[in-house]
Amino acid sequence: MPQIEVSALTKTFRVPEREGGLWASVRSVVRRKYKEVRAVEQVSFTVEKGEIVGFLGPNGAGKTTTLKMMSGLLHPTSGACSVMGHFPWRRESTYLRRISMLMGQRSQLSWDLPAMDSFLVHAAVYDLPKRAFQETLDELVTLLDIRDILKKQVRTLSLGERMKCEICVSLLHRPDVLFLDEPTIGVDITMQARIRDFIADYNRRYGATLILTSHYMADVTALCKRIIVIDHGRILFDGLLGDLSARLAPFKVIKIDLDHEADGYDFAALGDVLQRQERKIMLRVPKKSAPAVTDRLLRDLSVLDLTIEDPPIEDVISLAFGRKADEPQPAGVSK
Amino acid sequence: MRVIVRSFAAFLRAAVGTMLQYRGEIILWAIWGLINPAVLYAIWSAAAESNVDQTLAGFSRGQFAAYYFCIMIIGHFTTAWDAYELGYLIRSGSLSSQLLRPILPIWSALAANMAYKITTLAFVGPMWALFFWIVRPTFDAAPWQIVLGIVATMLAGLLNFLLGYVVALVSFWSPKLDAVGEAYFGIGMVFGGRFAPLAALPGILYQAAYILPFRWMYAFPAELMMGKIKTPAEALSGLTIQLVWLLGIVFVFRFGWKAAVRHYSAVSG
Amino acid sequence: MRYMRAIRLIGLFTKVNIQNLAAYRFDMYMRIVVSILHLISELIGVYIIFSNTQDVRGWKWQHMLVLVGVYRTVAGGIRIAIVPNMRKLLEDIREGTLDFVLLKPVNAQFLVSIREIVIYRAVDVMLGLSIATYGCIKLTGQVPVAQAIVFTATLAAGFMIVYGVWLMLGTLCFWFVRVQNIEMVFWNVFEAGRFPIDIYRESVRWTLTYLIPLAFITTVPARALISGDMTASPSTVAWGFGLAVVMLIVSNRFWRYGLRHYSGASA
Repeated sequence: MPQIEVSALTKTFRVPEREGGLWASVRSVVRRKYKEVRAVEQVSFTVEKGEIVGFLGPNGAGKTTTLKMMSGLLHPTSGACSVMGHFPWRRESTYLRRISMLMGQRSQLSWDLPAMDSFLVHAAVYDLPKRAFQETLDELVTLLDIRDILKKQVRTLSLGERMKCEICVSLLHRPDVLFLDEPTIGVDITMQARIRDFIADYNRRYGATLILTSHYMADVTALCKRIIVIDHGRILFDGLLGDLSARLAPFKVIKIDLDHEADGYDFAALGDVLQRQERKIMLRVPKKSAPAVTDRLLRDLSVLDLTIEDPPIEDVISLAFGRKADEPQPAGVSK
Repeated sequence: MRVIVRSFAAFLRAAVGTMLQYRGEIILWAIWGLINPAVLYAIWSAAAESNVDQTLAGFSRGQFAAYYFCIMIIGHFTTAWDAYELGYLIRSGSLSSQLLRPILPIWSALAANMAYKITTLAFVGPMWALFFWIVRPTFDAAPWQIVLGIVATMLAGLLNFLLGYVVALVSFWSPKLDAVGEAYFGIGMVFGGRFAPLAALPGILYQAAYILPFRWMYAFPAELMMGKIKTPAEALSGLTIQLVWLLGIVFVFRFGWKAAVRHYSAVSG
Repeated sequence: MRYMRAIRLIGLFTKVNIQNLAAYRFDMYMRIVVSILHLISELIGVYIIFSNTQDVRGWKWQHMLVLVGVYRTVAGGIRIAIVPNMRKLLEDIREGTLDFVLLKPVNAQFLVSIREIVIYRAVDVMLGLSIATYGCIKLTGQVPVAQAIVFTATLAAGFMIVYGVWLMLGTLCFWFVRVQNIEMVFWNVFEAGRFPIDIYRESVRWTLTYLIPLAFITTVPARALISGDMTASPSTVAWGFGLAVVMLIVSNRFWRYGLRHYSGASA
């Protein structure tokens, strides 16, 4: 019996349209125009206890909205969702005690208080028995290495330290299901790796189910065996990481600045020309051929500047799944 | 000079745009300026009832209405908040970027001040008319008194803005001194004739009101506009005194500003 | 069982706040100074008024002192918990951090109403009560126990009404997210409570009693402490209690409605 069951989950928002300008503001007082935004459409999947599932997709794909519906923060427009036998949006106290949510962009710690005070408040709010709280606290504080900063005001902590305290407070009540919404956003590379290690370790030790969203490939690929790709509210892929890698053809984007016009040069032969502006050219090439293409360009042309970058995840996904905004869901979503 | 005019126009346009964006909040701020004089009118006219001739300190009920009607308008045109805001600007560091510009921060503050007064007019104007209609004030003013009253109001606006700004300079030495704005405001309420017409102030308060600048920001324009100042000579000498105070405060400002900026660059910049 | 936990939580939030006052010592002193300045200006106001007359629609200076005391008590008292919590609520709605409140296994209204406690505002309450008591004593030379009890009860009812109003203002922010100074709606009306509502004309008095219950927040508690024919009538006092209960129920319903809107439930 899966721990989490989601079927045909849909969420549409009615968003008022806001135009600029004085006249439009006056008009909007009298008649409001609304736009329907389909944030999540007909999403279905199940999750077993102890799994780590990663939701991958560009900004605005519907990952956070899905997570909010699973944690009970949002009511779905239609469809069904049950987590550990509860309907999340009923916000039953027994359900809320067993879940936790970590939001990378927002802090639940009290800014003006030392982290320890927030932990004590958390313990009181979750009605944690003293002994259990103390034990869990000790374990987490050791694992996260935050013993020295517990008494410092949260506003004085660095982003990394704050992140660790956030993680600690979200685990104090030993949740069975942990939702992580963009947990590594804005954090430096070393800290990202440390957070990922900790999460993986936590899952191993306590068997908590982890649902993670991110638009960083690295987050998802490092932690999750199972990945769900979401774009424009729809699931494009739900399966094992290995299968996904096969689907995603890795690309690189080469940007060059020339010191002369190269009108006659056939860039299209080397790769997809994304942009071409006088002396600046953007070229997308398969990862494997990047070195060779770079070599060619440097030999053939007089190059002032050259950079090689990863394409944004939106491009990766649309390339892999060949999908644009309002296309219907393809028939064979691999499972 | 040209820089100031151009920049000021630009600040004004930008400030008006911002105020229109935040019109909800700004109207909520403006409402206080309507309620406070209305409440004071109510208490003073109620207080006058207990006297035999139904007047108090030379004001009848209708005259209290006229006085507070004028105070409402004058209070609007003399609104200034720098005494509160400067400390915040300094603490948040926003002042630093303003100091880098080739013109004094006071100009953008003045532009924002004027923008507020202009944009809220569309809302408070009808409210003033409503108040007028409800309380039926007794106006005794000839056209020349009203005209001079308008001039006096404009001078009063500049006066309160400038004096408030000068007082706010204290924030350079102690940015957390929010009490300064409150104290300035409170003193203005009493000695400016906003809480009560100056004639109602007892003994020592009355004397103090006559030497402080606050009466020239509120009481004088109000008395002029409602017709309590009978002779043109009195009116003109009042306007002159306003000008003298204004020039005096400009002078103090120049000194004070230089000292403030010197302190600021030495301490934080 | 549940009430014990609620009380323990309130105690914890208070304790945490007190412990951290040291970090904000300067602000605290500043605010206390400002409160004292306000009180002084209010007392000067009474002095100015009563230098010109003996009686304002039945209110003598002693009566007025009681009102000033009540006004200060309420102005300070609501800043202990109601104001800071509602401001935090507005911030949470704006920043999206209200979600964290909703994830907790505690009633959301309870949590958003008690998590901020600014204990030093009790100074205002003490000052206000002292002035009110002084006014009462100046009138009759004593404070009868019965009177004190009714006074406390009407004051409590007043606070409950204020809480209901603030909760509704806060709930409005689910729709008007950007109007961060929506609290000005309260302060603007509260301004009219500086003086007894008897000074206003009939229509305004009626509005401030039955439409916007300002009378029950300031004037009625003041009257409750005054004895003689200026005192609050039993029916008025009863009205006040009834209104307080209604306010609590209505504001709770509105809050729940607002929450359902926030989480996109079909209304």
